[in-house]
Amino acid sequence: MKVELLCHTPVTGLREALRKRDLPEVDLLPHLSFTFAVEGISRACSHQLVRHRVASFSQQSQRYIEVRKLRKHVVTPETVAGSAPQLFESFIEKTGETYHELLGRGIPKEDARFVLPNATETAMLMTMDGRSLFHFFGLRCCNRAQWEIRALADAMLVQVRAVEPERFRRAGPYCYQLGYCPEGRFSCGRMDEVKGKYDQMSRS
Amino acid sequence: MRLEIVAHTPDVEALIATAMLTTTSGASPSTLFHSLRGDAGRAARVVDRLEVQHGSILEHNRLCWVLEATESEALDILLSCRFFSFTKIEDSRWLVSANLRTVVEFAESRRDAFTQALVESIREVTPTIYQHLRGNER
Repeated sequence: MKVELLCHTPVTGLREALRKRDLPEVDLLPHLSFTFAVEGISRACSHQLVRHRVASFSQQSQRYIEVRKLRKHVVTPETVAGSAPQLFESFIEKTGETYHELLGRGIPKEDARFVLPNATETAMLMTMDGRSLFHFFGLRCCNRAQWEIRALADAMLVQVRAVEPERFRRAGPYCYQLGYCPEGRFSCGRMDEVKGKYDQMSRS
Repeated sequence: MRLEIVAHTPDVEALIATAMLTTTSGASPSTLFHSLRGDAGRAARVVDRLEVQHGSILEHNRLCWVLEATESEALDILLSCRFFSFTKIEDSRWLVSANLRTVVEFAESRRDAFTQALVESIREVTPTIYQHLRGNER
């Protein structure tokens, strides 16, 4: 996985325009946008990502882009790599062969892709405003989030804090933002550990 | 009514071109962006090929304006398009923001003083889209 913050709205011009009038942060956040290049995540992860509707996505299209060597462009979960690597790899190998056999028979890419698995890598350009990012971090940095999108959210948060340290100092999973866990009976029960992790991220 | 652009995402045309090519080229978005950011002419040529009905390509940016307008003028804009974000700074003074897709679609649906000022405000931000909108007016 590779994540890079490509561009964000500079706050300097905004502050000058406001003639030093302090707006609450909550009012400023929707006016700031952050654009990331997200590369090497699975289609399983991108399906979760695009459920965040107050955001913009431009994703590599399997209608136009052929997956040349599937086995070199898949994300393998650690659980699978640890317990059943051969089973997974043989499925990917066979699926890649089937995909290319379909293409070889003249099936268009947009139809041959129906056999491709959720593990297939993808890349996208993604833009969110500051308020949506806080919500995204609240849900996806949480221990209850799936490991791949949690890793993505953490990587994004590190980069957002690097360019806007004060504004995003309190960004993180909802328990970190709110001071209590809103997950009820599903709570991981490890708030202190989580707080330590995101405090440490601020310091580093 | 007075509108002044006060901040915007940098390298807007490089981002539009990156979004366009990401979907179809197979190159990674970071590689595309770093290449296009250093070549404004190439970015402009790619953007010039954009079919504007593919509006999502225009969403990877944010433009911010200070608008001096009465409450009824501000309400008229808000009711016309729910994609503008408004924050009241003080009486008759608003911080307004939107992405370029909103600007383009708004400009294609209305002809009034606010729309004129909106289009003029993007002249330096994205000369290619500005020319496209000006061309549509003629």
